[in-house]
Amino acid sequence: MAIVVKLDDMLHDRRMTLTELADRIGMTLANLSILKTGKARAIRFSTLEAICDALTCQPGDILKHDASKEAVK
Amino acid sequence: MERTPPSSSAALPIANVVLRILIVINWVGGAAIAVLLLIMPHKQWIMTSLKLSPSPDADHVILGLRAIAVFGLVAIPLNYLILKRLVAIVDTVRAGDPFVAANADRLQSIAWTLLVLQILSMVIGAIGNAVSKLAQPVDIDAGFSINGWLAVLLIFLLARVFAEGTRMRDDLEGTV
Repeated sequence: MAIVVKLDDMLHDRRMTLTELADRIGMTLANLSILKTGKARAIRFSTLEAICDALTCQPGDILKHDASKEAVK
Repeated sequence: MERTPPSSSAALPIANVVLRILIVINWVGGAAIAVLLLIMPHKQWIMTSLKLSPSPDADHVILGLRAIAVFGLVAIPLNYLILKRLVAIVDTVRAGDPFVAANADRLQSIAWTLLVLQILSMVIGAIGNAVSKLAQPVDIDAGFSINGWLAVLLIFLLARVFAEGTRMRDDLEGTV
C-alpha cells in the first residue's frame, strides 16, 4: 500500500504511548495496532478526527503517500 | 472488528442433522442401485419381474434400464459432494462467520455439480422415453426441469453474492 501510517513518529513527538492514545480516543489497542503497523485497509473519518484531536495534529501528520511502495492487495 | 456471535437459531442444528441424514440416505440409495446393477445381468430375473416376453424390444428396455442405473450411480457421489459442502456451509453459519471465501467456492462448486446433475437427469429422462413403449411404459421422474435449471442459476448468483460479501467483510475487518 502506498499510504504510509506515521503514527509511531507522531506518538514519539508527543511523548505518548500507543496504550495512552487508545485510552484517550476510546479505541481498542488491537485496532490501533492494526493502524500503526499499516495493516488497516481503511480508516474512518471519526477515527482520524479522534487521533488528530488527541495528538493535536493534522491528518497529513499521520498519513503519507509514498508512490515507491507498490500497492499490494 | 468484533465477530457476530454464533447463531442460536434452532434452524441450523436441524439443517445440520437433516443434511447428515440425507447423506446416509444418499449412500443407501447408491447401494440399492449398485445391488440392482449386480442383479441386472440376470436377464431372466428382469424379464420375469417386468413381465417381458423375449423380443428385441425387451432387450432394449433392459439395456435402457441398465444405462439408467449406471447414470443413477454416477449421481450418488455428486449428491454427496453437494451435501458435504452444504454441511460445511451450515457449520460456518453456526460458527458466526459465513462470509468467507471458502463458502463462495463451495457454492460455486455446488452450482457446477447441480448443473451436471441436471444434464444427467435429462439424459436419464431421454433414455426412459426412448425405451418406453405403450406395451411397456417406463415412467421415470427425470428430464428437463425448469425449477432445476433455475436453482443452478440462483446458486451461481448466490456464489457471486458470497464472493462480494466476503470482499466487503474483509474491508470491514480492516477498517479502524
